[in-house]
Amino acid sequence: MSSLLKIDGMSVTFATPRGNLRAVNDVTIELLQGESLGVVGESGSGKTVLSRATMGLLPGTATRTGTITYNGKVISELPKDEVRELWGTGMAMIFQDPMTALNPVRRIGSQLTESLTVRLGMDKKAAKLKAIELLKRVRIPDPESMLRKFPYQLSGGMRQRIMIAIAVSCEPELLFADEPTTALDVTVQAQVLDLITELRKESNMAMILVTHDLGVVAGHTDKIAVMYAGDVVEYAPTRQLFSNMKMPYTEALLKSIPRLETPTGSRLPVIEGRLPDPTKNEPGCPFANRCPYVQDKCRAEKPPLKDAGNNHFYRCWFPIGGEK
Amino acid sequence: MSSTEQIATTDIAPVQKARKKRPFGFYLAGFWVALILFLAVFGDFLPGPQWDESFYDSLGVAPFHQSHILGTTLDGYDMYSGLVHGARLSVFVALVAVIVGGAIGTVIGVASAYFRGKIDVVITMAFNIMLSIPNLVLSLALISVLAYSDENNPASTTRRVGVLMLSLTIVIIPILGRIARGATLQWSSREFVLASKSMGTTNFTIIRKHILPNVAPAILAIGFLAIGSVIIVEGSLAVLGIGVPGGGSWGSMLANGRGNIAFSPWEVYLPAGAIALTVISCNWFGDYVRKALDQRESKI
Amino acid sequence: MAGSGKAHMRPDGDTVLTVEDLTVEFKLGKDKIVKAVSGVSFDLVRGETLAVVGESGCGKSTLGKAILQLPKPNSGSVNFLSTELTTLGKKELRDMRPAMQMIFQDPVSSLDPRLPVSEVLAEPLRVWKRGNQVEIDAKIDELLNAVNLDPKVVRDRRSYEFSGGQCQRISIARALALDPTMIICDEPVSALDVSVQAQILNLLQDMKDRYGLTLMFISHDLAVVKAVSTRVMVMYLGKVCEVAPPDELYQNTKHHYTRALVASVPIPDPERPISSGFIQGEPPSPMNPPSGCRFRTRCPAASEKCAAEEPQLREVAVGHFVACHHPIEE
Repeated sequence: MSSLLKIDGMSVTFATPRGNLRAVNDVTIELLQGESLGVVGESGSGKTVLSRATMGLLPGTATRTGTITYNGKVISELPKDEVRELWGTGMAMIFQDPMTALNPVRRIGSQLTESLTVRLGMDKKAAKLKAIELLKRVRIPDPESMLRKFPYQLSGGMRQRIMIAIAVSCEPELLFADEPTTALDVTVQAQVLDLITELRKESNMAMILVTHDLGVVAGHTDKIAVMYAGDVVEYAPTRQLFSNMKMPYTEALLKSIPRLETPTGSRLPVIEGRLPDPTKNEPGCPFANRCPYVQDKCRAEKPPLKDAGNNHFYRCWFPIGGEK
Repeated sequence: MSSTEQIATTDIAPVQKARKKRPFGFYLAGFWVALILFLAVFGDFLPGPQWDESFYDSLGVAPFHQSHILGTTLDGYDMYSGLVHGARLSVFVALVAVIVGGAIGTVIGVASAYFRGKIDVVITMAFNIMLSIPNLVLSLALISVLAYSDENNPASTTRRVGVLMLSLTIVIIPILGRIARGATLQWSSREFVLASKSMGTTNFTIIRKHILPNVAPAILAIGFLAIGSVIIVEGSLAVLGIGVPGGGSWGSMLANGRGNIAFSPWEVYLPAGAIALTVISCNWFGDYVRKALDQRESKI
Repeated sequence: MAGSGKAHMRPDGDTVLTVEDLTVEFKLGKDKIVKAVSGVSFDLVRGETLAVVGESGCGKSTLGKAILQLPKPNSGSVNFLSTELTTLGKKELRDMRPAMQMIFQDPVSSLDPRLPVSEVLAEPLRVWKRGNQVEIDAKIDELLNAVNLDPKVVRDRRSYEFSGGQCQRISIARALALDPTMIICDEPVSALDVSVQAQILNLLQDMKDRYGLTLMFISHDLAVVKAVSTRVMVMYLGKVCEVAPPDELYQNTKHHYTRALVASVPIPDPERPISSGFIQGEPPSPMNPPSGCRFRTRCPAASEKCAAEEPQLREVAVGHFVACHHPIEE
């Protein structure tokens, strides 16, 4: 498999009244064709900024450095309109709230056929047939009647399916999914995740799945980047990450997930404390204040990204299970 | 409960106390509105010619005359004091109409949206019917019905002024009422209203403490725009001959002067300019309030 | 699933709340009537936490609000602290409100963005005239300390300056202000990050122990309610499917719908991907619910009997009730 997307040393800074806010620090990530990457972290960890920056969707107050290579072509220096060309055909995006991403006053059919007629130059009849086929692909029963409906007539799960249909309509090579199931019921979440995985297998589509829930990425990604305070703190193939976790933060995140096995009436493990102030550049590991294994060295010096072998990287002086 | 869960100051975004840089137009519009308000209140106490005195020795002099700074009309009335006096009438009429109409509209709109039900359906329909009639036609109709006068029984001046203000007020009610209704619908669906209800807060207190303060900025923004429209409507009515009786408002000056445009064009340009500047300033303020509101809204 | 029946009611406990045959209907247009809750019965014993679990549209939130008479249910009875709420007059109902409070899902929307935290918390105290300004101020500090917020830092700030988890702490403080007997928590952690969910769940547990509360905890996620609940009631399309203590419910699942919910919980383990295999699609419209058992259209075990006859709740193990003609066998 060849490399599809390579992010090399990307940093994103926002100019705010309180000074420069570093949202993403020197992140390097590579995604192969058809591969899926989970980006996991709490609110404020920089995970959404990372995906927006990759798509070139940052507001004017942001500065981005580093290079982005897509299909062997450096796109980080391209002018905006050329990057826009890539959206829809090369890259597509689905969001947390499908209601705001769909136009409330237009029928599903016209929204779905729009990208087909505009981007792929299909005529109306062909676009309609294709739209019905797409709705079948996202497992929507009775697609003909769906074309005539308005977004408000649909449930959250159905709307997210429509968004997925629109996203895959131009056969993208890369799908950005930003918390696609956070607003959904667990039953529907499971169905939507399964659907995305099936669609990816059908057309060898790569995916970047951004979420706060390690449980969501576990079964649906090939590798995972855990983000904390703008840094990628652990980056490993999914199975490797869960079987041989190095980073105390990843462990804490995993422990805080509510499970069916949790004994009734017990206290849930929490990550104490808070994220450091992103406008200050304090020395030491940003997780030091919340880390159960913290030592003096952690407060003094920020750990570099270390290689544990097997494509497993982490950012910790005293990793779980020791070095290597 | 460990103390580390306590949130520290840096965890919360600081309140931005920094002085906002306002656009230049804000000060320009502010200066004009302040000037008009000042003249409307104190204009009659300022030295200068009487507004209703005809100067037979200087009929139709052009502006920048030594004793008539903005010139006179063909009938010899002083333009400057006419405009100052007109500011008082036009602004007074507009302010009363918008404040009274806005207050009534807000009460009706907020109550209608908060309590919903059949009353809401009726009120919405009434608003829509009123809004479908052009402002000018509605005022015309009201005046001709309520202050009917012909040569034999002329309506009294007070009655005509009263009816004029009443009709302008009625024009304002559905405009601001509908804004209030829309904003209330949006805010009363927020869960803090339900939370307040579940604590046993009375509806009146909820409206007063939670709904009105949140709805007010939207009404204020549209209220400024409404002042502009009322000034224009009043001017148009005056041109049609049913403005403030006895002349004196900017609209009446315009109406009186339009026959003389060939000889003394300033009779038309000056009041028209005053109306235009005031309306533009009001609209500008309205826009500014609305923008500030949108920014606030996006934060919430 | 039908869930009519009252086999699971406990007549001899120290009951705080008894709900019987509660029905809530919404009118949509002229002839369209949605039965959001149809004939639900349950009770709450002092000190317990009842979790109400189901997909969106199953009527769980409507049920919570109907108990508080916001708005009043169409039929059925709600007996709270030996007072029948459905027939109470406006004033008498208002007098009951301090004892029953609610926490909402959207932490930001449930706080008035214009008011500083101190005003948010002072409102219930002023409405009920709980002391003078000094006493109210002291109470506000006590409440903020209880939910682990530093009063000095947060008192004068407004809701949009806080994160979702912090807003939810403020909401909890507000619900505690009037020393309630019962708090209905409507999806209190669904809008929060996983790492913050645990903090809020722990806080609710602490508050329950400290103030002797009885909780009703509404959620769509079985895993979230596991740690905090003493009894779980699973709902589907306005009806009750299964009622059991949490351990019993997960280890000895009887209802096919409950099994689907259990299977959908994301497990952070790549070797055990979550599965949507048990049920497909989404619930049918509550405007036109299926006859008999309402779950039969998605149920793998549905038979003709399910279409013809509505199953009643019956006891299958101690404290474990299920409304199904063909419960899952071991």
